[in-house]
Amino acid sequence: MIIEALYPEICNLYGDLSNIRYLSRSCGAEIVNTSLKETPRFVSQDVALVYMGTTTERGQELVRDAFAPYLDALKRRTERGGVTLITGNALEIFGEYIEDDGKNHIPMLGYFPIHSTRRLMNRYNSLYLGELDGMKIVGFKSQFGHSWGDVGDGLFTTLRGPGLNPDMKPEGIRIGSLMATYVIGPLTVLNPPFAKYLLSLMGVAEPVLAFEDAAVDAYNARVEEFSDPRRGFTY
Amino acid sequence: MEKAKCRPRGLGAVRFYVALWASRLSRPILRLTHHNGTNFPGELALKLCPDFLKYVARPGKIITVTGTDGKTSVANLICDMLEGAGYKVLNNRLGSNINSGIATSLLSDCTVFNRSRRNIAVLEVDERSSKRVYPSITPDYTVITNLFRDSIMRNGHPEYIADFLTSAIPPETKLILNGDDLISVSVAPENPRVYFGLTRLDTDVTECVNRINDLRICPRCSGKLEYEYLRYHHIGRARCADCGFESPEYDYAGTDIDLKSMTMAVRDAGGEAKYRLLSDSIFNIYNELTAIAVMRELGMEHSEIQKLTDHLKIAESRYKSDKVGDVEIVMQLSKDRNALACSRVFDYVSSRPGNKELLLMMNNLNDDKNWSENICWLYDCDFEFLNKDSVTQVVVTGPRAKDYYLRLRLAGVPGERIQCVRDELEAAELLKLEPDSHVYILYGTDSTCLKIAAQVRERVIARAREGLK
Repeated sequence: MIIEALYPEICNLYGDLSNIRYLSRSCGAEIVNTSLKETPRFVSQDVALVYMGTTTERGQELVRDAFAPYLDALKRRTERGGVTLITGNALEIFGEYIEDDGKNHIPMLGYFPIHSTRRLMNRYNSLYLGELDGMKIVGFKSQFGHSWGDVGDGLFTTLRGPGLNPDMKPEGIRIGSLMATYVIGPLTVLNPPFAKYLLSLMGVAEPVLAFEDAAVDAYNARVEEFSDPRRGFTY
Repeated sequence: MEKAKCRPRGLGAVRFYVALWASRLSRPILRLTHHNGTNFPGELALKLCPDFLKYVARPGKIITVTGTDGKTSVANLICDMLEGAGYKVLNNRLGSNINSGIATSLLSDCTVFNRSRRNIAVLEVDERSSKRVYPSITPDYTVITNLFRDSIMRNGHPEYIADFLTSAIPPETKLILNGDDLISVSVAPENPRVYFGLTRLDTDVTECVNRINDLRICPRCSGKLEYEYLRYHHIGRARCADCGFESPEYDYAGTDIDLKSMTMAVRDAGGEAKYRLLSDSIFNIYNELTAIAVMRELGMEHSEIQKLTDHLKIAESRYKSDKVGDVEIVMQLSKDRNALACSRVFDYVSSRPGNKELLLMMNNLNDDKNWSENICWLYDCDFEFLNKDSVTQVVVTGPRAKDYYLRLRLAGVPGERIQCVRDELEAAELLKLEPDSHVYILYGTDSTCLKIAAQVRERVIARAREGLK
């Protein structure tokens, strides 16, 4: 079983790569790293999960240019039920455009029906509490941008914190088994139920997580903490 | 010699002098009420006159020090060297490194008629505050120690900070840059500059072993960077095989580092001289080299700088050691929410001789009062360094203890070596304090954590003393 990390040399901020390290550790999958000048493995080979993490603003444009020739292959993969996870501002790369500080209009890949705004002097920090198929999702957001557009129910239903933007309830984007979210960092480590859900989608029967007891213990504590209405959510 | 400053005119002058006098008046009041060391005078001055930094008197020469890590240590070393050389130095070591702290330092130095009393200023400037400082103050030199990942919430990523500095630093300022850090090297490319760096060390590698390496691709063509030598993270000497881009040559090269005799040679266009090392940690060797490079830029001879370093000490505020019987108890600052700083501390501590017992309490307790600490940085941080047989015990504590426990397990640290307890003082009771062990209490920077860390230290020392009876 292969997990493909797209462009980990630049899509690696905020501990995002721990998402696939944890899944790999839990199911024994091999992680294959694809760099900017290489053809993604999923184009020609069966890959259980394609992953892309948070990058810099310049990195977003490098990824856009590198990935553009393979976008149709990703669409076909998604139609066939291939599992893809995109986290942090990598989500914006697949939108229509980024409007940068009210000055620049930066075209993006145009797969997701969203556009994003970037405000480099206003970093937005928040905790996140949401839901997916009855699973509570906890995590963190720390970003320069937000997105707008009709994304239906999104990926997660927001219980506390911002959705795709602070005024929207749906968080992230879901197209079949392609999932994209603004939640950064170790999402799978922080959310054992979601990690198991992903592993099931990848074809792992009865998944058991690495250090599952410790992960569940930390998860339960965080769900309780984030559900406390006295807990501040934005920073 | 005072540096020429903008002169306020008309109502602007009235506003400025009201701000100057009111803020100066606030200082004795603060002293009387035991509120020394705050930014209040500067905050007041900036509130009354937003252009205060533009008009306030400043010494004839200004050096600013910025960067992710080491800026306080470097600024202190430069200050100490200059004072040793007889300069009257203005600094902000007692205040903060943001615009109000710098305003406080400048106004504390000047006379009621807005004249500076000193001949040189060494100001530590927070990277994110540079846009509020540099429009009003043009440094002669800006030192950038390094640029790494810092607080996720505040600083985003180092490329963002590099761009931030590029847009803020005045074009005439000469940069003194870490040539081993290609992110720092990318700052303000049009400015005049010199580079310092350490030549290859025995411990260098060619492939990164750290989780964070923020410069894996060529900044010019996006090809893979190859490292001739790599010290940690992205610090080292790199070259792009695709386009030939490479790290700059050093103007000030630290070389022949000998940790036995605690010496380093510094080579530059004026020759080579041997210096006493102030510390055996690579971070502090960089700090010392940086300060020497600044002195050389100011025109001092090696022989003069050598004499100055003979009497220098690295400030111990971040490292405090007590020996109780045969147990050493070390308080080690390990900047919370900063993966890189903690990685460096883990690397340093775990490679020290002897058995180590660690108590990790780098939680940001102030964050915890209001929201919940963003723990993503734990997964950028090299906890893997703690997976060594000589690290015999790790006690994790505070609100994020369960997160630390999981991270340590994922780093390969055996479960039987880890204890996890919420209360910090209870954690102090769990340390084994085995004979000949070195106990490291790693604490964070927020004020609540500092207070509790002091109590933990006292308790551990008391337990070690009880063990002697």
